[in-house]
Amino acid sequence: MSYFRSPVPSVAAVSAVALILAAGCSKPADMRPADAAPAPPSAQTSTTAQAKTVSKLGDLSAFRSIAADVTAIVDKGDLPAAKTRIKDLEVAWDSAEAGLKPRAANDWHALDKAIDHALQVLRAATPSQTNCKTAMSELLKTFDSLRAVN
Amino acid sequence: MKDINHAPASTPGWLNKVPEVTLSFWFIKIMSTTVGETGADFLAVNAGLGQGVTRGVMGTLLAIALFTQLRTRRYTPWTYWLTVVLVSVVGTQITDLLTDGLGVSLYVSSCVFAVALAVIFAVWHRVEGTLSIREISTRRRELFYWAAILCTFALGTAAGDLATEALGLGFTPGAASFGALIALTYVAWRMGGNTVLTFWIGYILTRPFGAALGDMLTQAKTYGGLGMGAMWTSAIFLTVIVLLVGVAQIGAGSGSNARATE
Repeated sequence: MSYFRSPVPSVAAVSAVALILAAGCSKPADMRPADAAPAPPSAQTSTTAQAKTVSKLGDLSAFRSIAADVTAIVDKGDLPAAKTRIKDLEVAWDSAEAGLKPRAANDWHALDKAIDHALQVLRAATPSQTNCKTAMSELLKTFDSLRAVN
Repeated sequence: MKDINHAPASTPGWLNKVPEVTLSFWFIKIMSTTVGETGADFLAVNAGLGQGVTRGVMGTLLAIALFTQLRTRRYTPWTYWLTVVLVSVVGTQITDLLTDGLGVSLYVSSCVFAVALAVIFAVWHRVEGTLSIREISTRRRELFYWAAILCTFALGTAAGDLATEALGLGFTPGAASFGALIALTYVAWRMGGNTVLTFWIGYILTRPFGAALGDMLTQAKTYGGLGMGAMWTSAIFLTVIVLLVGVAQIGAGSGSNARATE
């Protein structure tokens, strides 16, 4: 069984090359959002700078809106509901890691840390309203600071 | 190829415990990487177990799989590959724990794992007089083999993440670069490079390559991926793995039957 020098590795190389080619082909698609995103909006919309300016990480509005939602729920004092809602942010953030992180690793880590902290205080055995409020406002501030830089 | 002349003093009744290095070997290995990572992520985040519990679960499963693998007397595809998948998960978790949990820099962890791997090989070579990956036929050799594999997964994770962070290498250029390095390694092997060395280099490189490939399939189109999502990608890869391992398992079964009836 095991005394032949298998010819199969050559097939492995061929498939590796094929995979590289496949990877190369999809490159333009990869460049698009990163390049397109920071381009300033051409005309009138730039007055709503707050909503339109994007960070180096690209468009984070989907994540920020969940965070704003959680903040509103925390402000109402419904911590269990906030805990449920913030999981949506965790899942969305986690699944986008490979897409976002390479764009600006430091920014990504800053946000990741703020999200982790918010998750931690909301999931505490006995969550405190004050801690949750502080963590959520820190998180929103982090989102906004990344946007302001650009 | 000189290794082959070494007659190992096998543990009585033990045959070689590891598979031939073939195309299907690398396919399964690369896909295990992706499935291992998305699987552990799914348990930690989507299933809500958290990183700590997931680490405990995966560590326990690895211990059971490794125990089973060490107790088999010959290469048994499903045990071997189950162990590889779980080593892949745990190797990734070790690096993530160091980076995210303990704040160890990726430069440091990459160096530490590289040195640890070098030490494993040095001791392995000193004790056994060979690093042959075709004659894993004693308990001690098998332990060296799995220790080296665990270390390559941890090193591959750290070095791959480092490339992402330090060079801002996204998954598409990442897959292309690591794929090119794998192709170079293959060419080196074809041109007479050391079989064992090129095998282990390939083993390390296929970790970040598999991760980048997985990202290309799972990531949303906005990020330049194919937008298949983690669940579908894992399901497809897992199906292919089960098919390939199943074929190997049936082959191994009929092979040993043939031998038994001779």
